[in-house]
Amino acid sequence: MPSWQEFQPFIVTGLALGGVYALSGVGLVVLYQATGVVYLAFGAVGAMGALITFSLIAAGMPHWLAWLVCLAFGGAVTLAYGMVFGPLLARRDALVKATATLGLLLVLFGAMDLLWTTSGGEVRSLTLPTDSGGFSLGHVQVTWTQVLGLGVGVLIAGATAAFLRYTKLGTAMRAMANDREITATLGVPVRRVEAAAWLGCGVLAGVAGLLLADMVALDATTLTFLVISSLAAALIARLRSIAFTFVAAIVIGLVQNMLVPIPAVSSYNDMTPFVLAAVALLVLARRQVMTRSREET
Amino acid sequence: MLETTDVTAAARPRLTLHRPPRGTAVRAAVTAVLLLFVLLALPQLLSLYYVDAMTQVAVYAVVSLGLGVLVGRVGLVSLGQIAVLAVGAWVAARLLFATAQPYPLVLLESGVITMGAGTIIGLPALRLRGLYLALITLMLAGAFSIVLATTNFPNGGHGFLGYNGKLLQIPPIRRPSFAATDPAYFRFAVVVAIIMFALVFVHIRTRPGRAWAAIRQSEPAALAAGINATLYKLWAFALASFVTGVAGGVYAGAAHYLYSYDFPAQNSIILLAVVLMGGAYNMWGAVVAGFLSQFLPALLNNWGVSNDWLTILFGIGVVQVLTTAPRGLADQFPKDMARLGRLIVRLIRRPAPAAAGGEAS
Repeated sequence: MPSWQEFQPFIVTGLALGGVYALSGVGLVVLYQATGVVYLAFGAVGAMGALITFSLIAAGMPHWLAWLVCLAFGGAVTLAYGMVFGPLLARRDALVKATATLGLLLVLFGAMDLLWTTSGGEVRSLTLPTDSGGFSLGHVQVTWTQVLGLGVGVLIAGATAAFLRYTKLGTAMRAMANDREITATLGVPVRRVEAAAWLGCGVLAGVAGLLLADMVALDATTLTFLVISSLAAALIARLRSIAFTFVAAIVIGLVQNMLVPIPAVSSYNDMTPFVLAAVALLVLARRQVMTRSREET
Repeated sequence: MLETTDVTAAARPRLTLHRPPRGTAVRAAVTAVLLLFVLLALPQLLSLYYVDAMTQVAVYAVVSLGLGVLVGRVGLVSLGQIAVLAVGAWVAARLLFATAQPYPLVLLESGVITMGAGTIIGLPALRLRGLYLALITLMLAGAFSIVLATTNFPNGGHGFLGYNGKLLQIPPIRRPSFAATDPAYFRFAVVVAIIMFALVFVHIRTRPGRAWAAIRQSEPAALAAGINATLYKLWAFALASFVTGVAGGVYAGAAHYLYSYDFPAQNSIILLAVVLMGGAYNMWGAVVAGFLSQFLPALLNNWGVSNDWLTILFGIGVVQVLTTAPRGLADQFPKDMARLGRLIVRLIRRPAPAAAGGEAS
């Protein structure tokens, strides 16, 4: 068993990764609440945004503009998908809606593999300027990117919770989570609220893509399937609570990274989100009630 | 569960009762002729490259069949079928290295062991329905692919895992003595696939099939009708895992060497896409799915076109199927052809406008 000292750097990386999982998880929860869609293409959108940013920076574009392009790309693709297929699938059950986003995932995945071929063995990387600076905390070196990861996670989770609680648009989103038809009857512009949710979720996908490309790897497959870790956090919160999503994301990030220095399990540490989510789903499903009306929602 | 307009599906079995048996006989005859052609003539006509590709089509048709049972019959979506295929291949490879049993027996055993594994996973998963079940299978498949990347496939080493990283000369996984060459192995794969299709066909046409149809329509209603929903859902899991495990065994012999990167998690998603595109409600859909996922890539490779285009196409296809044609190609294509045929007939005959209006409905 490694000593406490050896764990410390992994706690820092774990918190940073957890922060990014949290912001992705929050994006997924908000979109699910407003539209009933589990957005499985979240990771692929972020990955493609990060790759575009990489190419733009390589072509000489100012960094800040390239980052904005990444966020804009995430927002645009997600909003376009939501506007075209959201209404078409609005009355279908959640499973169909989620499966359809797998279609978007495949399209983006194929496009990324086509445009940024990996077979050449070239390693791409995207570094944010926050990597170079930092401070030491005890014996551990902390980079500003890690601070940014956790900070953005906390900020987004807090801001989203407040947004849903106190603003008119947020209230409308919560109402739509309960019943889309009744909300529409009450005069809420359902389409516009949904569009806002899609756009917000897409921009968050771009942010997560940038941060994860820097912290983990700029690789289409890795980033596309990292969404599963964030999804795990959202699932533990049953796609409902922002607070639970945040806590679960931090726990997943921490556990995943703190297993690294333990030799016996270190090669299995990436299983953490899957295992935690699977266990959580099974435990939470115990109190499921089967009724006709719930089956059809 | 994937389609909302189930009225026609419910009406269909009744229609088949009234249909004259001639249609069934014709269909059976066409199928038989097709199978004879595939078994006898096809390996002679194709180059070895395409024979290999067709072997993979046979394997993946069976995998698609297994997923088709879950998705189309019971309404359970699994995003982890490639992991199940990997389990089947792993078990078969381990048994083939460890014992000298005849190959068909090994296939049976790998099917049964995979069935056990699939059922154990299915048992807790039965608590979950719809979306949550799909997501938990995605999670489990993700976890499994990490385990597989660490343990690797057996390569003739000793111990339970049968993997020896220090081996310089890795022995190939053996094939049955009567099917050592590629064309012979292709025939063997097709025969195995036919047996699996027959097994599933029998299930669909008898009691389990009717129970699955009831569960798909509405689980509470099925329960109220006295159907043991838990048993039959588990049965579907067991059947799907069994045929997928057998397919994994066939895959092991076809590939000779197995690597964990042959079973990436995204292939489970592509598999679901092709099964939905082919048509999950139709057994021909599984064959179409096999062609889409294995033959088309081989064809494009030969033409020098990147397979990524195919991934993009499948992505568009799955969205298209879900939004407009929930029954997939295997159902849509004959209908479109029939519509085209009627159109041509009508154009030739040029009937009176009134008659045409009546016919169009």
